Amino acid sequence: MRSSKKVLAALTAVVVVLGAPAAAIARTTIFGSGSSAEQPILNLLFKAYSKLHKNIAFAYNPDGGNAGVKDVQKGRSALAVNTRPPLPSDSGTTQFKIFLDGLCVAVNPANSLGNLTISQTKNIFLGLTTAWNSVGGSNLSATIDPIGRNSTAGSYTFFQSAVLGGKTQASNVNPQTSDGLVATAIKNDSNAIGYVGLAHSQPGSGVKTVSLNGVACNQTTIKRETYPLFRYIWAVVPTAHPSVPVEKFIDWVRVNHQAGLIISRAGAVPAFNK
Amino acid sequence: MDEYIPTERGAGWSQDQRAELWLVCIVVGLLIAMLVFVLHAAWPSFSHNGLGWFGTGGRVDGQIQAIFTSGDLKSTPLYVFHAWPLIWSTALITGVAVVIAFGSSLFVAVFIVEFAPDWLRGVLEPVVRLLASVPSVIYGLLGVLILVPLIGNHLITQQEKASVNPTVQLSGYGLLAAILVLTIMVAPIMIAVFVNGLRAVPRNWIEGSLALGINRWRTFWMVAVRTARPALVAGTVLATARALGESVMLSMLSGGVGFAPNPADGLIFLFEPSRGLASTILFNTDELSSPPMQHTLYAIAAVLLFSAVMLSFAGWAAKQPMKRYGVIA
Repeated sequence: MRSSKKVLAALTAVVVVLGAPAAAIARTTIFGSGSSAEQPILNLLFKAYSKLHKNIAFAYNPDGGNAGVKDVQKGRSALAVNTRPPLPSDSGTTQFKIFLDGLCVAVNPANSLGNLTISQTKNIFLGLTTAWNSVGGSNLSATIDPIGRNSTAGSYTFFQSAVLGGKTQASNVNPQTSDGLVATAIKNDSNAIGYVGLAHSQPGSGVKTVSLNGVACNQTTIKRETYPLFRYIWAVVPTAHPSVPVEKFIDWVRVNHQAGLIISRAGAVPAFNK
Repeated sequence: MDEYIPTERGAGWSQDQRAELWLVCIVVGLLIAMLVFVLHAAWPSFSHNGLGWFGTGGRVDGQIQAIFTSGDLKSTPLYVFHAWPLIWSTALITGVAVVIAFGSSLFVAVFIVEFAPDWLRGVLEPVVRLLASVPSVIYGLLGVLILVPLIGNHLITQQEKASVNPTVQLSGYGLLAAILVLTIMVAPIMIAVFVNGLRAVPRNWIEGSLALGINRWRTFWMVAVRTARPALVAGTVLATARALGESVMLSMLSGGVGFAPNPADGLIFLFEPSRGLASTILFNTDELSSPPMQHTLYAIAAVLLFSAVMLSFAGWAAKQPMKRYGVIA
């Protein structure tokens, strides 16, 4: 009995010691939710901002962009991040463009393909073009293996409206649950083609991006808005009683020079940063 | 073997017995509450589709998308859903993996208990236990990085790819990869339970058989394995339950498209992609914000939960006739 009490006391002590640093300074925690694709970039921004403002902490739940907007509408989150423009159903929220991102179309480096038109891409992902020899500019002749995202992904919704004209991708498209898995699938299969976020098509990823309508997928063309598949990332806050720390954070992300460096290092494109 | 010793009833319930009763009530209550909650949340999907829910019809991925988008519009929510490709995928992958794993696990367990030298046994057993506890996402990663490219680039020919191309893509993500890795995942669980069961066989039964001049192999097969049958059932039920609920690894390897692989396609069948029930829930958790989608996902969960409950009952029922001469498992 006595020894169990000792163990209990020791455990309590450990918990108190571990818990102490968190309790030492009064912190404001900003609860955010939304896009999972933008989470790597947001995490870096959160970390840098918390370093500058020791009293601000962040908790981010990557439950998807649409779910994030709902969280803000219901008051569950003070901030949501979404990858699509505002919709009429987003009533009660105010949305700001914070930075830019692009969706690159990528192939295996063994493929000599350099450029695709939007309509060629559309035909591939609708299952109308099925062999590389019917696509001009490729040295391959085998069957095309299109790799896509699962239907809940923001990238999928974006690709669907921007390239597929609202149609559903064909059943021969192999859906993956993350951009990293898409890049891996393309890297391992010389006949593959897929769409991934700019951050997942860097030189180290083992995939080769192709130009769309003659415009390459990179930070410059996305910033100039000449690349066809660019998109703004939006911050969503409640219209009534927005929280002041959240607004300050959004301002910092939008215009601060250091924030811009973090965004571009993380693979997205700063839009308004000095 | 612990036997239930009845206490004197007239004296009323002791404190221990009351505590036990409460514990049982809480556990059973939680289980029932979970079942009721899931079934309640799933009801709209079942009531709209009736038995057609379990049948074929249309493209299941298209149906899921339509259900999801109908939650955002202010019109009536859609519920049309025919889950057969998903059910077939789960049944096929689970069934084949469990059958292969059962055969190989039985031989491995017999080897570990009866035939392996002590030093080898000392290595094999910890390794099996470790393998049984490896998180499934690790198997998924290994499969994506090694097995899938191997199958896609070396086993599947261009002719095979072209022959099914407009319908599905053969690139390594498919039944073969899923079944192989699932077998490797569930076999250690079976081996661990089988080994315990075989070891619990009374030593003198085996010695008696050997003393009658029956050879070692036959003795082990006819006496030890026969006696350990309840443990074989228990291990199989545990492994099947894990295989049924496996979602992360399968969503990475089986191919994410809702398609029912057709055995009539011949060998290509093994390469065809499919997506099971549990992976479908994982694929679509982002869509929980749409009420009709939520009901549909809960309906899938209800089917999985019901299968798991039925599996336990089947295991229990199968063990009844074996109880008399078997080890307790």
